Amino acid sequence: MRRGITFYLMLLLAVFGVLSSTLAGYASYLKSRELLVRAAENELTGANQALGRKLSVALGEIARDARMIARHPLAATICSSTRPVAAAEGAMADIVTATLSVHPEYFQIRVIEADRHGLERVRIDRIESEKNALQRVQEADLQEKGHFPYVFRTLKLGRDEVYLSRILINHERGAHAALGQPTIQVATPVIDGGENAVGVVVINVDLNSLFNLLKTDLPAQTSLYLANRWGDFLLHPDPGRAFVFDVGGRELVQDEFPATATLVNGDGEKVIVRGSDRGRGHGAGRVVGSFQRVPLDRSDGESFLLLGLSKPTAVVTAEADTLAWTTLYIVIGASVLALVTAIGVASTVTHPLRQMARAVRRFSRRREITQLPTGRYDEIGVLARNFHDMQLQIQSQMKELHARHEELEHLARHDPLTGLPNRMMFFERLEQSLARSRRSGLPLALLYVDLDRFKEVNDTCGHSAGDAVLKATSLRLLRNVREIDTVARLGGDEFVILIDSVMELDHVPQIAEKLLTTVVEPIEFEGHRLTIEASIGISVFPTHGQSANDLLVRADRAMYRAKSAGRNNYSLSEVEPE
Amino acid sequence: MPVLRRLLRILVLTVASLVGFVPGHSIAAETLRVLAWPGYADEDFVRRFEERTGARVEVTFVGMDDALWDKISAPGERPFDVFAVNTAELQRYIDAGLVQAIDPAGIPNVKRQLPQFQARDRIPGLLREGRLFAIPYAYAEMGLIYDRRTVTSPPDSISALWDPRYRGRVLAYDGGTHNFSLAAMRLGKPSPFRYRAGDWAEAAEQLIALRRNVLTFYSLPEESVELFRDNGVSILFANYGTQQLQLLRAAGADVGYVIPREGALAWLDCWAVTTAAKSPVLAMKWISFMLEPEVSHALTTRHGLNNTLQAPADEGAASGKLVWLEPVEDSSRRADLWHRIISGERAVGLK
Repeated sequence: MRRGITFYLMLLLAVFGVLSSTLAGYASYLKSRELLVRAAENELTGANQALGRKLSVALGEIARDARMIARHPLAATICSSTRPVAAAEGAMADIVTATLSVHPEYFQIRVIEADRHGLERVRIDRIESEKNALQRVQEADLQEKGHFPYVFRTLKLGRDEVYLSRILINHERGAHAALGQPTIQVATPVIDGGENAVGVVVINVDLNSLFNLLKTDLPAQTSLYLANRWGDFLLHPDPGRAFVFDVGGRELVQDEFPATATLVNGDGEKVIVRGSDRGRGHGAGRVVGSFQRVPLDRSDGESFLLLGLSKPTAVVTAEADTLAWTTLYIVIGASVLALVTAIGVASTVTHPLRQMARAVRRFSRRREITQLPTGRYDEIGVLARNFHDMQLQIQSQMKELHARHEELEHLARHDPLTGLPNRMMFFERLEQSLARSRRSGLPLALLYVDLDRFKEVNDTCGHSAGDAVLKATSLRLLRNVREIDTVARLGGDEFVILIDSVMELDHVPQIAEKLLTTVVEPIEFEGHRLTIEASIGISVFPTHGQSANDLLVRADRAMYRAKSAGRNNYSLSEVEPE
Repeated sequence: MPVLRRLLRILVLTVASLVGFVPGHSIAAETLRVLAWPGYADEDFVRRFEERTGARVEVTFVGMDDALWDKISAPGERPFDVFAVNTAELQRYIDAGLVQAIDPAGIPNVKRQLPQFQARDRIPGLLREGRLFAIPYAYAEMGLIYDRRTVTSPPDSISALWDPRYRGRVLAYDGGTHNFSLAAMRLGKPSPFRYRAGDWAEAAEQLIALRRNVLTFYSLPEESVELFRDNGVSILFANYGTQQLQLLRAAGADVGYVIPREGALAWLDCWAVTTAAKSPVLAMKWISFMLEPEVSHALTTRHGLNNTLQAPADEGAASGKLVWLEPVEDSSRRADLWHRIISGERAVGLK
C-alpha cells in the first residue's frame, strides 16, 4: 500500500486516540491512587492520635498508683529510718502486694530509701517461673539502686511529681519476671514532714502488656512502631529490630523513615511518611504511615516517644490497582475503537477523493462521465458538483469544436456554391475508385462536362443568373447518376462525373446523352427562361489511361473535340497509338 | 501502575547496564569486596580508588563485632577480600584461619605511619608466630573527661573515678569487660586482660565502690552528654574517647581530656585480608590507599577517630600511654559479675 493521505490520516487519528485514552487512564489511576493514600494517611493519623492518648492515659494510671503508695504515711516512716522497721515494712508490703495483684502489667513495686546508696526497703517481685506469683524480696537480697536514674532523678522531684525512665530491656539481676523484658520505671518521691525527699516508690511496668494494649483496636493490616527520643525502635513489626541498642546496634526510625528525622530533632509534632526506600529487611516494601511525638512529662531519658502506624502501600492502593487493570482494559478498548474509527474516518474522507480521481482519469481518457458523490452536503460534495459541471462544460465545448472541425473539413473538400465535391475531393475519390477498379477488374468512366456559352449567360444576365444556372445544372447532373457515382465541380463551368464500376461500357454514351438532354431544359430565373447546353468528353479506365490525371486529360480532350464538333454533344476519347 | 512501572524500571536498568558496559569498565572486571565500619570507606575515597585501579569496589558496613564475625566466618558465594577489625577481635579470626598473613612490603604506605604503629611486634595481637595478620588503621583511647569548672587540677589517675570528692558526680561506662580492666589497672595488676584466680573478689569490691561513687553508668555517647549536662558531672570515663569529647564540646561543655598515668584502654582497628580473598594484591593496594594522608586524616577530621599517621591533636591525649585492648580471660564471667554489681548487690559472694 502506498503511504497516501489515508495512511497518514489514519496514523494521526490512531496515535491521537490511543495516546489520549492512555494518558487519561494513567492520570485517573495516579489521581485515585493519591486519593487512597491520602485517605489512608488521614485514617492512620487519626488512629495514631487516639493511640497516643491511650498511651498517655495508661502511663497516667500507673503514675496514680505510684503516688498513692508514696503518699501513704508508712512510706515516709520506712524511708526516714535507717533501721529495719518490720511492722511498717510488713504493712507496706501488703499494700504493694494488693496493688500488684490487681495490675498484672506491673512487674515489681519497690520502696527505696534515699540514703545508703538507694537501698531497697520494701520490694515485691512478680515471679515468672511460679506462674507470676508475687514474692517479697528481703534482707540480703535487697539491692542498692542509687545509681539508677529512677532513684537519683526522682529524688530531685517535688511531691506528686512523676519520673518516667527510659524504656530499656531490664538487666537488673534478681528482677525476676522483669529480667530481660522491655520495661519502663514509673517513680515518684516519698516526701517526709520536712518536705525532704527521703525515698522513692518505683513501679516496674511490663511494656509488652502495654504494647499489647496499644495494639488492640488497630485498623487492619496496620503495623505499630514505637521509638525512643533518639529514634531507636522499641516496637517494630519485626521484633528483631526493636531494642537493638540493647545489644550494641542501632535501628533508627529516621533511617527507615527519613521524614521522621524532623520529629527526632524536635522540629515537628507529627509527620506523614511515605515509602521506606532505604528500609532494610522487613521495611523493604513501600508503606504509608503516620508518626507523632507523644510528650512525656517528668521523664529522664525520654522526654517524648515516637509513635507510628503504617500500612503497606500495596494494601492501601489495592483498590487503585484494581482500577488500574480496569483502566488498562478501557484503554485497550478505547485504543482499538480509536484504531477502527481512524480507519473508518480515513477511508470515509479519502473514498470520495479516490472516486473523483478515478472519474477524472476516465474522463480524461475516454470523455466518460461517471458517478460522483454529488449528493453530499460537505466540501467533498461541492467539489464533486463543481467537477461534474466542469465535465459537462468540457464535453459541450468539445462537441462544438468537433462540429466546427467537420464544417471546415466539408468546406475544404466541397464547392461552396453547389455543394458538390471540389477538385481535391474528386481526385481522392477517383484514386479510391481506381484502386477498387484495378482489384475488381470493372472499368470506370470519367465524364468531363463543360457548359457551352456559360460566359454569355454570366455577361448578359449577371453573376447571380450564372450561379443559378450552375446550381440547377449540378442538381440535374446529380439526379441522373447513381448514388455511388460522384459529381464534382472542378471550377468555373466545368464539372466532372465519375461513373464507378461500369458493368456495360455501352451504357456510358447513354448516360452522356441523358445528361445532355436534361441540361438543355430551360432554367427559371427571376422571370427569365435561361437555356444552356453542355459538351461532354468521356474517358474510360483502363482503356484510356492508367492514372487519374491521364484519364482527366483524355476526358478533357474528348470534351474539346465534342465542343469543336458543334456543342451539345459528347465525344468518347480515342485510343491513342502507343 | 505497578506492572508498567516495573517494566519501565527493567527497561531503564537494561539501558543503564548497556551504557555502563563500556570498554574502559569491562577490562577491569576485578572486584574488591570490603567490609568496614561506618566512616572507614567514605564514598569519595572509594571512587578515587576505583578510578586509580580500575577495579570495582563493593563496600558493606557493619555496626557490631558479632555481625562482622558472622559475615567473615560464613563467607558464602561472594567472600569479602578485606575487612576492618580490632586487635582483640582479630585473635579469633586468626584462630579460625579466616585471615591470611600480610607482607608489609606489599603496602608501601605503612612507612608513613607513626613509629609506634610501625613497631608492630609491640602491639599485642598483630603478629602470631612471627607472621603479621593486620595493619593498624584507626584507634580510639578511653581517657578521662573532666569539667574544667569544677575540677581544678586535671585528674592524673584512674582513681579519680573513686575519689569521694566527686561522689555522685562521676559517670562511668556500663560494661563489664572494660570496668574489670579498669579495676585491674587501678589495683596495679600486671595485665588488665588476664585476671588470676585471686584477683576477682578484690576487683568486685573495687567496682562496688565505684558504683557507690558514681552518679550512674551510661551506654551511648549521646546519653553521656545529656547526663553530663543535666547532673553537674565532674569526671567522665570516656569509653568513646575523643569522639565523646567532641560531642561534649559541641554541646557547650567546658571539658578537658586526659590519659591517666596508668594508661588508657584503647581499641585499635586494623585492616586484615581474608584467606578467601580473590585478589590479595588488590586488597593490599586498598590497605595502602587507606594509609594515604588524605584518606587517613579524614578519619580524624570527619569522624573524630585517631589515625595512625598523625599524633592526636588534643593536649591530654598526645603523650599518654595506650593499653591496646586484648581478649580477656573470661568475658562471660566479667559480664556476669558486672551485671550483679550494677544491679545493686551489696556483696558479690565469690567462691
